[in-house]
Amino acid sequence: MPPLSLELDAAVPPPLTDLPAGLEEACATAPRDMAATLAFALARVTAQDRRGVGLALTRAWLNEHGRPYGPGLARFGRDEGVLLVVCRTEVEALWAMEQGLRSGGLSLMLGGIEGADLTQTRRLDFAARDGASAGVLLRTRTGDLSAARRRWRIAAEASGGDPDDVRAPGPMRLMAELTRSRGERPGVWMLEMEDETHRLRLADRLAGHGHGPVGRTARAA
Amino acid sequence: MARSAGPLAPPDPFAQAAGPLALILKTARGAVIHALNPAARAVGLSRGQTQADALAMIPHLDCRPADPEADARALRALAVWAERWSPSVSVDASDGGLEGLFLDVTGAAHLFGGEAALITQIERRLADAGARSRAAIAPTPGAAWALARWGMARRIAADDARDLLAPLPVEALRIDAATMRQARRFGLKTIGDLYPMPRAGLARRFRDVDGAGLVRRLDQALGLTAEALIPVRAPAKYRGWEAYAEPLTDTAGIEARAPGLAESLSRALERDGQGARVLTLTAFRVDGRTSEISVHMGRASREVKVWLRLFRETGFERIDPGFGVDALMLSADVAEPLAAHQVEMGQEAAARQAEGLAALIDRLSARLGEDAVRVASPAGSWLPERAERWRPALASAPVLVEGPATHERARPLMLLDPPEPVEAIAELPDGAPARFTWRRVCRRVARADGPERLSPEWWRPRADGRQVRTRDYYRIEDDQGLRYWLFREGLYGPEYMGGPDERAPSWWMHGMFP
Repeated sequence: MPPLSLELDAAVPPPLTDLPAGLEEACATAPRDMAATLAFALARVTAQDRRGVGLALTRAWLNEHGRPYGPGLARFGRDEGVLLVVCRTEVEALWAMEQGLRSGGLSLMLGGIEGADLTQTRRLDFAARDGASAGVLLRTRTGDLSAARRRWRIAAEASGGDPDDVRAPGPMRLMAELTRSRGERPGVWMLEMEDETHRLRLADRLAGHGHGPVGRTARAA
Repeated sequence: MARSAGPLAPPDPFAQAAGPLALILKTARGAVIHALNPAARAVGLSRGQTQADALAMIPHLDCRPADPEADARALRALAVWAERWSPSVSVDASDGGLEGLFLDVTGAAHLFGGEAALITQIERRLADAGARSRAAIAPTPGAAWALARWGMARRIAADDARDLLAPLPVEALRIDAATMRQARRFGLKTIGDLYPMPRAGLARRFRDVDGAGLVRRLDQALGLTAEALIPVRAPAKYRGWEAYAEPLTDTAGIEARAPGLAESLSRALERDGQGARVLTLTAFRVDGRTSEISVHMGRASREVKVWLRLFRETGFERIDPGFGVDALMLSADVAEPLAAHQVEMGQEAAARQAEGLAALIDRLSARLGEDAVRVASPAGSWLPERAERWRPALASAPVLVEGPATHERARPLMLLDPPEPVEAIAELPDGAPARFTWRRVCRRVARADGPERLSPEWWRPRADGRQVRTRDYYRIEDDQGLRYWLFREGLYGPEYMGGPDERAPSWWMHGMFP
């Protein structure tokens, strides 16, 4: 297989590039895929946007998935810092997320919220556009009706291996499936994290636009 | 300078008890009378008398134990309540700090219709709250103290102090009983008797113990020596208050008054180019208590809208109106200069964003608690779980700056703290695992990187005396493509020889990579 070319990098489809203002949902295929799901959101913040990142997480969420780890977060180049809001309930987290989006002080506000209904997601979407911020709901199951602009399903994928040491894990890979979007075609992409920039690039030409679900996202679908 | 002091009658039991009643304090000399009600005083009992002596005189004397600490707490609460008349209220330290308050009402009396009206109002409010009092206004704390307890006049101007204090007994100078008896022996009965005495002689005979000697007290009363009072709360430089003829009885009433207070406080701050960092809304209740809420801001602000929103999020309902609130005060407890908003083009957006973030932190902290809103900061520890600390965002600088990545090595995005136990099978005792079971699921290792050896600070033994062992960290990818951070605690060989009382090295899950 020929190495990835510059043309391919440039051809990263629009849904995968800079996160626009508004609400998205990213659903981890299994609870263990949450780290990949979080990375998928962080890596898509517009590089020029120097505002901080906020996380509204419930204690239950933190117990299940662990806490965001500063040294790991720092690798995403967020030199404006990360604001962690520890909430008792999802209702509190919803409120905190809405405040974070509307404030205009954050480029990305993430919420570990499973149960957000149509009205609540609509409120979040409005707030996000008010503050010119991106909001991403981190979930582990697909919710019901939602006003989110895009819905993703994320799964960690086996890496291609470290070029210097085949036995070691290489740059992280994930499968991103766009299951619903306003005015965009659904699709599945295999993405790889660039270690230097912590941006996503297409990892494999085979998993591209228009192909049906593949990999673990398909199995869980 | 004008000050007033008011001795406060002890609370409830006295008001109701018809017969003589005394509060008894256990001291080195046995049980003595600590306080009396008027009926007990009328039958000739006095403070400091022993209980046995008093009971011999009045067999039906009602004796109850005294609680000076509770009295001191109650007086302090009353001092805060008295801030409605003055930003600087202190508890009178003489007499065990149980009887009087000093209010610095310099330049404030006109707000209450003059000094006479202020005295009347203070006494009436305290009576409404169930405390009998006597107030006096004088140029010095010492003179006010004397007048409140012994004076016919209740107000004196600076020029009259010497003459008006002259007929008062020497006790009026806040001296202890021993000094008083000594003065009596010398035939010094009134303050006026002291005026012609040579000061050097007085100072020699009455030694100054704890800054409460006769000469110092005289000088303080006459204003020849300054006297520093320590207010119960640091006086707020900026404060606005309103008194209401009809007490407010509910949260809605209090909330409705807040905008007016905020507007006037904001204007006062604006005149000086200041903004508030900490605001407190204090409700003065008719029962002599206060109830208050505070909001903290990451950066100074005088935006009334922002203040009110923060107060609403903190909750006006946290103010307990009791039987009614007859005055509200809004104070800027911490204020700092607020630069005029002249931001260069281009920086304007950045400034607005930073302000948005600061306001966000304020709002989240007000509603969810300061501990709920956190920012990461690196901390120096070899233990990964202690290499960062999530500090309350409010306590940190308003602009969040994270240092550059301090770790050369890969670090997980999510950390399990504390680490979770893992059953692992490794091909070599000190090698990477081949399979492991975590949260009941068995996973096969496809790729592994490591170990990254993290050693304890061996020179710093643990408090509980347990041995701290080395950790070997591995970056693991399982056959499903999931990536983990596992470590083995303890080294085979140097840290585990296989002895019966030794802990075998164990495996732990510490985090997840994306």
